Formats: sequence, structure tokens, C-alpha cells
Amino acid sequence: MSQTIWTRTLTWFDGVRRSVCRVGWPATDKDRAAAMISSLFLHIHPARVSRHVLKPTYTFALGLISAILFVVLSVTGLALMFYYVPYPAEAYRSMKDLQFVVTFGIVLRNIHRWSAHAMVGVVFLHMCRVFWTGSYKRPREFNWVVGVLLLLLTLGLSFTGYLLPWDQLAFWAITVGTNIAAYAPVVGDQVKFLLLGGHVIGATTLLRFYVLHCVMLPLAMLLLISLHVWRVRKDGLSGAENHASPTEELAGVFPASTKTYGLMAISKRPQASVEARDPNDEVFAWPHLLYRELLIALAVIVVLHVVSLVFMAPLEEMADPTRTPNPAKAPWYFLGLQELVSYSALVGGVVVPTLLALALLILPYLDRGTSGSGRWFAPERRIANTIFTAVAAAFVGLIVIGTFFRGPNWAWVWPWK
Amino acid sequence: MEVRNIAPLRLHLLFAGLGITFLLIFSWVLFHEEAAEWRTTQARFRQLEGDVKNPHQLAEAASVGGLRQVWLPDLGRIDRCETCHLGIDDPAFAGAPAPFATHPGTWLATHPTGRFGCTPCHDGQGQATDYAAAAHRPQPFVTRPMRPLETIEANCGTCHRALDPTDAPRLAEGRRLIAESGCFGCHEIPGFEGMTFRGPALDSVGYKVRPAWLASWLKDPKSYLAQSKMGNFRLSPDEIGSLQGFLLSQRMQVPLDSTGVDWKNADTANGRALFGELRCVSCHAVNGRGGTMGPELTNIGDKVRRDWLFSYLKDPHRVQADTPMLQYRLNDAQWRDLTAFLLEQYSSADTGAEPPPVTYQDARLLAAGRAVFERRGCSSCHRLAAIKETGRIGPSLAGIADRDPDELPYGGSTVRHTTDNYIFLKVLLPDTLGQPSGMPTFGFSPADAARITLALASIRKSDLPASYVVGRPALVPYRPGGKFGELVMRYRCLSCHTVGGFGGDLSTVPLDRIGSQLQRDYLANYLLNPGAVRVSVEARMPVFHLSPDEAKTIADYVSMVFLDDRFDRYDTKFTSAEARRGQELYGQLGCQACHQLGTKGGYVGPELSTTGARLKPGWIAAWLSTPQTYKPGTLQPDYGLSGADARALTAYLTSLGRSDAAKARGGKTP
Repeated sequence: MSQTIWTRTLTWFDGVRRSVCRVGWPATDKDRAAAMISSLFLHIHPARVSRHVLKPTYTFALGLISAILFVVLSVTGLALMFYYVPYPAEAYRSMKDLQFVVTFGIVLRNIHRWSAHAMVGVVFLHMCRVFWTGSYKRPREFNWVVGVLLLLLTLGLSFTGYLLPWDQLAFWAITVGTNIAAYAPVVGDQVKFLLLGGHVIGATTLLRFYVLHCVMLPLAMLLLISLHVWRVRKDGLSGAENHASPTEELAGVFPASTKTYGLMAISKRPQASVEARDPNDEVFAWPHLLYRELLIALAVIVVLHVVSLVFMAPLEEMADPTRTPNPAKAPWYFLGLQELVSYSALVGGVVVPTLLALALLILPYLDRGTSGSGRWFAPERRIANTIFTAVAAAFVGLIVIGTFFRGPNWAWVWPWK
Repeated sequence: MEVRNIAPLRLHLLFAGLGITFLLIFSWVLFHEEAAEWRTTQARFRQLEGDVKNPHQLAEAASVGGLRQVWLPDLGRIDRCETCHLGIDDPAFAGAPAPFATHPGTWLATHPTGRFGCTPCHDGQGQATDYAAAAHRPQPFVTRPMRPLETIEANCGTCHRALDPTDAPRLAEGRRLIAESGCFGCHEIPGFEGMTFRGPALDSVGYKVRPAWLASWLKDPKSYLAQSKMGNFRLSPDEIGSLQGFLLSQRMQVPLDSTGVDWKNADTANGRALFGELRCVSCHAVNGRGGTMGPELTNIGDKVRRDWLFSYLKDPHRVQADTPMLQYRLNDAQWRDLTAFLLEQYSSADTGAEPPPVTYQDARLLAAGRAVFERRGCSSCHRLAAIKETGRIGPSLAGIADRDPDELPYGGSTVRHTTDNYIFLKVLLPDTLGQPSGMPTFGFSPADAARITLALASIRKSDLPASYVVGRPALVPYRPGGKFGELVMRYRCLSCHTVGGFGGDLSTVPLDRIGSQLQRDYLANYLLNPGAVRVSVEARMPVFHLSPDEAKTIADYVSMVFLDDRFDRYDTKFTSAEARRGQELYGQLGCQACHQLGTKGGYVGPELSTTGARLKPGWIAAWLSTPQTYKPGTLQPDYGLSGADARALTAYLTSLGRSDAAKARGGKTP
């Protein structure tokens, strides 16, 4: 009798578990592959991936790290919202409260701050990687465009977040940044007015930036990231087709076949990357890819914690519109533009940023050749790579100059003096 | 056939390594939070509390734990200082080590932390919960780190706006220096509104001073007079030359005619006697001794022309309507003697003969002099009919304490860049801060400059709620009318006496209740022939040589107007028993130790043999009962007399000298 009750109870619990998780802990490759396909959270991975994908020196996991940073920023950002008041003096006071009285407050803020800076850099490097490996070529042209939009969104998120501490650094960086925006012809002033909610930075600006930073831009970001990843999932990682080499590990598990997994089977689009590849070169995403992703996430979190314990997020005096620091500098990623603005407002504020954004957006439709994709610095792409590298280096160089070599009145200073 | 598709071993090792590292880092974060400075400080406090207090007190004391803060929404402040300064309002911790010690003094009684917090007085970052971030010492990005105790009175001044705030001697000294030096002539200074500072009017200076003196004065006023209020404008020789010419050409008002004066027969001995009799040294210093209200006279012979001096002494208000200088009634011979005495006695050895009047005709020179006069803002202090007043020449000092220290110039000075240091240097050496400055060098001592800095450092951008401001009582200028008013103006009574708090502080006798203190007849006589009431005190009222009519007017007015009902309603019908009892008390209390009566007694207090004719009984009784009320700091002891005893003593004192006074009234009194 008691045996029956016990068994029934177990069965009942098993039923509950099954209702949540359809399969048990997958013990076999088949089960794991099935799990990859049936789970909402896992199915953004293919069931099998090319070994080439696992090679760390091909992608340096830059896209993955960007995504991890976005998750970290969302989590810490939500926690920070519990303490933040988007109103001038109160905003600054909440920074002080985070620093002095909120449990783990300063660690939260540091992690959020440094993750945000890191994300700008990592997304930029990710773009460079994609260019240098020629990965934006057909059929991935549009995903490059999505990627450029994501880069702009990342900058927008960082820029709107920059104002929120409401200290001198924030206030004047945003002043300089929005002034650069105002150089745009015809609409410049209107854009600035719309952004600031007035002619100068004030309480309305703070509220606007807060809503943009916490709601609108993250939602847009989430949408575009989904699209971006979805297309990577559909098109596969570039270059896999170039790296066919047999492996003993998988030999015989799956006979070479035309079988495809998931929705790709019914897709009418050419499935070149999936179907053309050699199954012998493939490994199961679980555990090979998932494990590596977990390790990278862990490494990122460890690094963020160490950095956040050692380096404090900057916080200067409370914003004072009557006291302009000299020099007043934009956020570091706009210092290249500010450096250009110091020579010519038209060039630095309008021509260069417009041309850069346009060039990046239409790049895959200009560079139509299909050769040289999937390899770092393919010789046949020497000209394209040279031009891109020069522009990127110039941009980074200008940022370095603006950050370290510009003192009061934007005069040249040596950082070690 | 199923092949186990497993991750390689190195990934497992990496995972283990990273996992352990993460755990370590996270425990570090936990430890970081748990070992916060304020937590360890509170643990130390609990230990100390066990030593300081007995178990009963410990049970009563509110248990301390967690962050403590004072929120002052009116001031926009949150002070968490008491998170560590746990014994600050508990007398049991007097003498405890920092940070637990009780707040010294009684400051917290008048400034409870619940209303004032800590940082409004001390500065520093109140929101912080550790020593460094609280800015006990200067910290980056903390605009106002804690003030050292030496200058903390600057913060008293943000709320306490009176010129003479209590319990803040350095602040009061600084504000006094500002008021005396007339800084508000050139600068708008909050708290000093409505105050004016005037140097002598220069309309007729061409008649007044000797050319050589003027040149040396313009070059450096301190060379003539070390205490000169006028600063050194660092003028070039060219500027001095043209300014000298411009000033000496100012001859609006011709001095009184002195051509008929027989200078050859001037009697300087008589002049010396007059100099003493008129009590000139009450206001004028000679060789470093004397009053400070009027100009120093040590070398007056080097400075002024004879005819001008004669004219000025004879009628000072004619030349300078707003001078506090008194008007005396002497005859021409006496003025001549006094003038001759001053010029002969008080001049340096090498003073030449009276220089002939010079007429300056060079228009270019005069225009240049005028330009210098205007450019350097001389009209801020000196009136000159030829020049329109141009308003304040210096920048406003409103909110000076909140100027951005990094934007201020410090010249080559290597001091730490703080607003305080800037103000100090500017006050001390205005021309050394690396910018051309029109501000003259006033030659303040470093100590005085520090006091002025302290007073200026209390001038913040004004956003203090009104409920925290202890204002400056508005002084209502006292201007009586009628004939009495004319006399008050002519003899400048208010240069020394106060009415309703308005007036000079040279005399210790305010006039507000003088009519209830003094007998009218005594007052009338005293005005005609002032003497020292206290034998031992040298300062006394000068002899004005009033006419009997004038004395009568003043005495009548004063006895009618300057009254205090508290004394006037006193029952003056004394019995002889009371007078006898009073005489006994006079002996018992030892009054004769200080007061003279006839030929016996001490010299400290006033002579008493004519008290009955001098003072009104109501006043005597009130004075004997609570002397400190009427004259803080007086030597007269407060015996705590009962009403009956005070009345008895009053009866006795009132009887003294009455009969003499009655006799004297037979026609002598005006």
C-alpha cells in the first residue's frame, strides 16, 4: 500500500517535471541534440557545429562577449534602477548612496560602468573581425547592416547612460556630445532640442536620457540582437566551408547524409553553409560549444569583478552648469569626433560621422565580390582590408589623441607631464 | 554504436580554475562589504561603551547598529557622520578617543544635530561612511573638505549675518576689519549693504594740503601714516605727478578768511592748554596714543596748510558736512593759538616753510590726473564734485566662497588651490596673483588678512532657507529734529554716544535713558563744564564751550524725551529710617573701598558726595540691584540686594549733596 502511494507520488512529481522540461537530462548525443532543438533557450545554437567555429582565434568570441556584456548590463542596470532617481540633485545623491550605503551598491555600479565601456570596445572589435575575415559577404550582407545598427545602438546606450550620474564629468561630456550633434545641417538644432527637451541640459534631459537608456534603446537592442543572432543561426558562421578536415571523434556517429536539423529542412533558401559542409568536420554543440560559451561567460564575469574591485567608476562633483571644466571632453568614444571638431566643426560634426555611418551601412553592397570570405586577411581582399584598417586606425588614433594628448583649451599636452 | 561525445579534459580544468577564481572573487566582494570601515568602527564603539558605562546605563542606551544619518531636506544635506561619531551627543564619552568623543563645548545644545547636522558647520562629505571619503582631509572632487578649526567660524557666518556675531571672535574681527577698511566702497559685499565708507571729500583739497606731502602720500600712504586706511595704489611717478596736479587744482571752497589773524603773537602754550582741554586725543592719536576716530596728528604740520587748518578748526562742518569732528565755540585768538601749536608741535624736523599756492594750468596734465582718478576708482571713497560717481569699481563678492578654486589665479604661489587661499593672497598682496590688478595694497598684516579671508569665506551663494539665517539687526539712523537736532549735529553728539544702538562707541553712556538717570540741573551744568565723574578715568567729554542757552535746550530735551518708565515710576518719598539703614549698608558692603565720599574712599568708582544732586533715585535703585543689566562688564558688584536694602541705600545716596544742589540753584543753573 505504502509502496503504491510512494510510487504514485513519484509519478506525480515526474509528471510535473515533464510538463516543464520535456526530456530528461540528456545522456546521449542524440538526446542532447534533441534538447538543443527543442529548447527555446538552446535552439539559437545548431545541434552540430563545425570544428572551425570552436577555434578561438577565428572569432575571438567577440560577438558572444558583446552579448554576455549586454546581459550583464541588463541585470546590473535593473538592480541600479531600484536606487536611481532621474532628477538632477537626487540623481547625484543616488550615486553617493550607492557608494556609501547600498549593500554591494558600488560593485554594481562599477560592473555596470566598466561593462558599458567594455561593450563599446568589444562591439567595435567584433566589427573589425567581421571585416577582416570578410564575413559580411553574401549571404550575410544584411546582417552586417544589422550589426552596424547594433554598434550605433551600443554607442547610444553608452551615451545616454553617461549623463545619468549627473556629475561634472557626465554633464559636460553630454554638453559637448550634443553640441557635436547640433552641427548637423538643417536638423541639427532640432535634434539637439528633441534630445535635451530644451536648449540646455536640465531635468527634462535627464528624464529623456533615462527613458532612452532604460527602456527604448534596450528594447531596440534586444530586438536587433535577436535578429542578428537569428541570421547567424540561419546562415551559419562564415568560413566553415573552407575548413573541411575529417575527425575520428565523430566518425560513424552520423553517416554522411543530407539530413538537416530543424526548420532548415523546410526552408526554400539555399542552405549552403549547412548542407555543403562535411559532417565529419562537425561536433555536437552540446557540450563542445555550450561548454566553451559557459567558460567565456565565467571568464568575462571574473574579469569584470576584478576590474570593479580595483578600479572605481569615476564620479566628480555634482553637475554645475555654471562651472565649465577646461577642457570639457565628450565620452571617450566621441573624442575622435571632438578632435576633428576642434579643426572644423563641419568636418568633425557632420561630414565624417555621416560618411562613416553611410559607408559602413552600404559597405556589403559595394564590395560584392565573394572571394576571400571566411579567412583572416585574405590576400585577395588586400585593398579593402588596407582601407578599412587605415580608417579604423585613424579613428582610434584620434580618440587616443583626444583622450590623452589634449589639455586645457584643447591644447596639446604630453600625458606623462 | 554510441560514442561518448565529451569535452576535452583541458576545458574541465579551465572550468575548475575559473570557477574557483570566481568563488574567490565573490568572497572578496562579500568580505569587502562586511569589513566596511564603519562596521569595524561600530564594533570598537560597543567595546568602549562597555568600559565607559555601567550595566544599567548600557541597558538604557539605545543599541547602536547600522548606518545613522541626519536628513536635512531644507539644506539638501544628508549627514552620516554619526555612524562613526557615536558618542557625539552623549556626555559619558567626554575624553573618549576619536571618533567617539563627545562634542566639545555647548555647541550641540544650541545647534542640535537633528536640525543642523554636522556638515553645515564642519563641511566635508556628509553622505560618506568612511574616513577618507568623508573628506576629513582634502579629497579629489570634494569641493569643501572639512574646515580646520582655525577657520571654522567662516561657516558660522553663513547663517549668522550680524556684523558682530557672538561666540565667533575671529569672524567678528574679520567683519569689523571689512567695515573699517571700507572694502564695500569698491566691492558689493553681501551683509554690508547700506554701509558707506568715506575718506575726506576732496573738493577743496588744493587749499588743504602741501604739494610735497600729497606726492609722498600718493606714492605710499603708509610712509606718512602707518595705520592709513588708504591702500597703496602702486602709482607710477607720472601718474603721481598728474594726479597731484589734478587734486591740487581742486579749489571749490575758499577757506575762512584768516588774513586778519595776528600769527606773530600766537601763544602756543595756550594752544597746548586748549589741546588738552578740548580732549582732542579722545579721537586723534598723537605718537601712537589716543583715539582712532579722527586722523592721526603726529605729523599734521607736514600735511596741511596753516590757513586751511585754522579755517577747519573754526568750522569743520562747513568744509566737510559729514565729518564726525565736533564743533567747538572758541574765539579767533584761541583757534590761532591751537593752529600754531599743532603746526609747530606736530611736524617733522625738516618741514619747510608754508609753500606758496600753486596754480596748475597744464590742461594735459590735469586731464591725465583726472583719468587716473577715474580709472583707479578714487571716487569710491572720496567725494569730488568734478567727478561723477561711477558705482563700484571692484567685482561683486557675492558668493565668493563658492568660486571654483581651479579657475582663480594664484600667480607663482605654490599654495594649495582653494578659494580661501586665493582670497587670503588677494587681500594680502593683490598685485602678485599673475593678473594686473587695480586693487591697492592695503598692507594688512597676515593675521588681519586671515581674519578678512575668514569673514569673506562665509559669503556663500545664497540658497540658505530663511529659517536658518540669523540676520543683521537693521540700524535705524537716529535723526532728531528741531533746535535739539541742530545742536546734536553741530556738536556731533552721535560721534561718541548712541541712541537706539545708532552712533559711536567712544562714550560708555548711551543716551536712551539718560533723562531718567540724571537730574536735569546737574546735566545742564555738566554740559557747560564737563568733568570726569570717575577720578581714575581719563576719558571724559570734551568742553564744547556751549552757550547756556544751548545747554538748557539739550538738558530740557533730554529730560523730556530720553526717559525710561522703569526708573521714573519709583517712589521717592524716603523715610529717615531708610536713609539711616542705607548708611549702615554703605559701611557693611564696603562701598568706600571703591567710591570716594568727601576725602575718604577709593578711586575706582565715581565720587559720591553729590549723588543726590546728580542721579535720580529710580536709576540709583535699579543700578544697585542689577548693575550688569545696564552696563555689561562693569566693576560694580551685584550684591543681590533685596528691594528694601536697595531702597535704603538709594535713600542714603539720594540724601548726599542735595542741600548743596538746592543752594547752588539760586540762579546759576540755566
